[in-house]
Amino acid sequence: MGLRCYFGGTAIQTLRMAVIPASSSSSRFIFGRPLSKTLTLNSLFLRRNNVNYLTRPPFTLLTKALAATAVQAAPPTETIDRVVKPQWKAAIDFKWIRDNKDAVALNIKNRNSNANLELVLEIYEKMLAVQKEVERLRGERNAVANKMKGKLEPSERQKLIEEGKNLRDGLIMLEEDLLKLSDELQQEAQFIPNMTHPDVPIGEEDRSIVRKMVGCPREFSFPIKDHLQLGKELDLFDFDAAAEVSGSKFYYLKNEAVMLEIGLINWTLSEVMKRGFTPLITPELVRSSVVEKCGFQPRGDNTQVYSVEESDQCLIGTAEIPVGGIHMDSILVESMLPLKYVAFSHCFRTEAGAAGAATRGLYRVHQFSKVEMFILCQPEESESHHEELIKIEEELFSSLGLHYKTIDMASGDLGAPAYRKFDVEAWMPGLGRYGEISSASNCTDYQSRRLGIRYRPSEPTSTNPKMVKGKFTPTRFVHTLNATACAVPRMMICLLENYQQEDGSVIIPEPLRPFMGGLGLIAPKFSRAE
Amino acid sequence: MGLQCFFGGTTIQTLRMAVIPASSSSRFIFGKPLSKTLTLNSLSRRCSSINYLKKPPFTLLIKAFSSTAEQTAPSTESVENRMVKPQWKAAIDFKWIRDNKDAVALNIKNRNSNANLELVLELYEKMLAVQKEVERLRGERNVVANKMKGKLEPLERQKLVKEGKNLKDGLITLEEDLLKLSDELQQEAQCIPNMTHPDVPIGEEDCSTMRKMVGSPHEFSFPVKDHLQLGKELDLFEFDAAAEVSGSKFYYLKNEAVMLEMALVNWTLSEVMKRGFTPLTTPELVRSSVVEKCGFQPRGENTQVYTVEGSDQCLIGTAEIPVGGIHMDSILAESMLPLKYVAFSHCFRTEAGAAGTATRGLYRVHQFSKVEMFILCQPEESESYHEELIKIEEDLFSSLGLHYKTIDMASGDLGAPAYRKFDVEAWMPGLGRYGEISSASNCTDYQSRRLGIRYRPSESSTNPKKGKGKLAPTKFVHTLNATACAIPRMIICLLENYQQKDGSVVIPVPLRPFIGGLERIAPKFPQDE
Repeated sequence: MGLRCYFGGTAIQTLRMAVIPASSSSSRFIFGRPLSKTLTLNSLFLRRNNVNYLTRPPFTLLTKALAATAVQAAPPTETIDRVVKPQWKAAIDFKWIRDNKDAVALNIKNRNSNANLELVLEIYEKMLAVQKEVERLRGERNAVANKMKGKLEPSERQKLIEEGKNLRDGLIMLEEDLLKLSDELQQEAQFIPNMTHPDVPIGEEDRSIVRKMVGCPREFSFPIKDHLQLGKELDLFDFDAAAEVSGSKFYYLKNEAVMLEIGLINWTLSEVMKRGFTPLITPELVRSSVVEKCGFQPRGDNTQVYSVEESDQCLIGTAEIPVGGIHMDSILVESMLPLKYVAFSHCFRTEAGAAGAATRGLYRVHQFSKVEMFILCQPEESESHHEELIKIEEELFSSLGLHYKTIDMASGDLGAPAYRKFDVEAWMPGLGRYGEISSASNCTDYQSRRLGIRYRPSEPTSTNPKMVKGKFTPTRFVHTLNATACAVPRMMICLLENYQQEDGSVIIPEPLRPFMGGLGLIAPKFSRAE
Repeated sequence: MGLQCFFGGTTIQTLRMAVIPASSSSRFIFGKPLSKTLTLNSLSRRCSSINYLKKPPFTLLIKAFSSTAEQTAPSTESVENRMVKPQWKAAIDFKWIRDNKDAVALNIKNRNSNANLELVLELYEKMLAVQKEVERLRGERNVVANKMKGKLEPLERQKLVKEGKNLKDGLITLEEDLLKLSDELQQEAQCIPNMTHPDVPIGEEDCSTMRKMVGSPHEFSFPVKDHLQLGKELDLFEFDAAAEVSGSKFYYLKNEAVMLEMALVNWTLSEVMKRGFTPLTTPELVRSSVVEKCGFQPRGENTQVYTVEGSDQCLIGTAEIPVGGIHMDSILAESMLPLKYVAFSHCFRTEAGAAGTATRGLYRVHQFSKVEMFILCQPEESESYHEELIKIEEDLFSSLGLHYKTIDMASGDLGAPAYRKFDVEAWMPGLGRYGEISSASNCTDYQSRRLGIRYRPSESSTNPKKGKGKLAPTKFVHTLNATACAIPRMIICLLENYQQKDGSVVIPVPLRPFIGGLERIAPKFPQDE
């Protein structure tokens, strides 16, 4: 029983940190109640006149309270103090984090995360106190307003007006504090990784467990070549020209390699579509906020992400990002779930900090084609869909005749969004080792709380009926899962190295042949005069 | 007879402004090594980072030296004038430009170019004068050096040493001037567009002539929809989500549109491969210098090019760029030519300044898939390959049953690299107009002089006295590029032309084997969304 129980529907109702999209223009859905009138007016003023109304009044009021039922996030405003203002807010369940402090602390340790839980909880408590005070002041202001409705002596009215003004000034100040605290809280809390599936082995990469082993290394009766040599002899790649034109770790595919790439994409898409997935081709430039919401870091020294100059757009490192974004800020109906997508895209990675890692040939490159599976589902179903995804991967790799092992990755090797991750490592005889060819992750509600993807259950939730307002049942966050169906260059390494023949040719596995115009063999060409 | 005659092998020998790649690891370097003085100079400057180029306290008269050496040197930091230093140099034939001044001037006018020919020629003459003076000083320095080889009185030697030093200082100054002039000349001359094929209609776009018209607009017995409406009803695109995730003019393809894209790519590749083209997939991030060398502007306000932050890399707007670059700075053997490539890539365009133009649906988008043909050939053959390329395009579009016209684009509508350009415009019934679906350009040696792509003819050239040793002198190849299939525009054509009364869309027969036998895109049950 994973995180999905803890992060279920009820908690959402008690703490509503809804995702407010950074773009002001045309967000498709906005949830929760409208901002409180004071806040709305305030932020409107700020944006229209560019004047700072938030400077502290000459006198300060006591700090008190309000039960936060309103949405806290407001459009970014310019204040004199430069708070690092998050562009968007994750709907993080702080109450749950506080109530499960020990489990969260242990998880942070197990995941090698540098999240600062103490600081998060400290800011959270501070914020709650300010919220309470805001509530108290609002109550007092309302009391004053009500008193003014009746007939009053002019001096009495004057006194009330002054009192009301003082209360309003105090509220403005407190609300400013609240915004700052909430921003700080976001910033710190976003570092907290997803919880971890109880079956995940705890520790570093070497603690990862082999779930399954299929086949065994092929025995060769001749000296084997690696894919780079095979590619050179069969005229399949051009790394040298690409190094001049683009830089190192770029490449051209040539001749049969082009057909193999297209054959792999087509075959993979058709196999996964057969299993009920909707095919997509995605944008490869996305807003950096979407990259962040999926749990990737588009900035910083060791970022894997290429950013576009003078724009907030990035090149995607995986189709997981645009597919994750396709239902961003939406409420889905339960009957639509699960949504299963299979997306083809090119992927771009800086591979910063990858110096020294296995970089030979096609293994680690800046640009590659990938077919990616992505599922959005109800929390109760994410575990079984995770099994479904790894099973599809295994079926695909088995039908191509690969020798591989499936690994349940250890806690220390999980990225922040993953609750559990299964990697597949296939045997690459030319490189003489196993190499990762796919990864299947259950991200539970880590991404959906950032992307703002909810669904509305068809039946009311029984656990907390008093929270049900009107006819609608409360929304819940979907769970998201992603899994590689085919990372083309790695698959090409496997196919070339495993299916090489003594005469230097390479056999095309049967299932791919119909997708390559019936081609069964990549044969050496006559050497060209170059 | 086009430009290929003028820009032939002989002129290259008389004016050697070879392309020196900006990157240090070029695969081939041509021509003779830099003169020793220059080499040492630039080496020592680079190593010690000290500026040796300050003017000496006295100046010498400016005289001569016939420039057979390469002029370019690695970029250096000069304290004095902050010159805009080109990252690379095009092998522009300045002598030919000077000798054909009137034709070039007329061409600049016909092409609506803002190139400044007068300035180019002025800089060129200045540069020649400085070259001459450099030559003269080198001669004098050699004389002095020879005198010093013999036995000499100490006083005499002292005088010669001083004389030699003065000459050397003067040379350094002049060589610096020469570099500056050569940089300025490059900058100005790179604005000069390619010459224009004599048959190209002169004038603006409306002067373009129709070469060919195939088919006629399909008659519909029902109200036609545009591709956007069809796509919505058939659940083929997602523009709204893409606007949130990426920005406007981005899109997801969905369901049968994905299969249609894959089928179009596959079918087009296989058709073009049948005709002897080598398939490629290309890098989509390339150095900005390669973009420039292909004749595109990666910088500036209205650039179509996305640049990567903190890098000199750009996203390609067309596979023409990485394919053009694949033989950059190479000398090809004549027997390798023609090289015919068909490349599949994604293309990225900012579409800056495209506000107000036809932007509905898939017509003008920031990212799209394209299959592009590219030919490198001998100059004499580029015109016939241009015909071959337009014929392939026409064959492809005809077999998909499109109604289209082929247009010989007017001079005012040609980009700088094109010597001649044929566009194909197909009928898009939903949009109710013809829309460009392909473009085939002969760039003659405009790109190859920038990319440094030469070949060595197998027989000795027309100018045997220049041939050193056994090798014939090299010539620049001609390059041609042509769209085989720009996927989104083709999807517009297919959806809008093959729509049926019941809302379905029929798949043209040739594509069916590439789309799992699918014959028709049928409406799905409406999803509750």
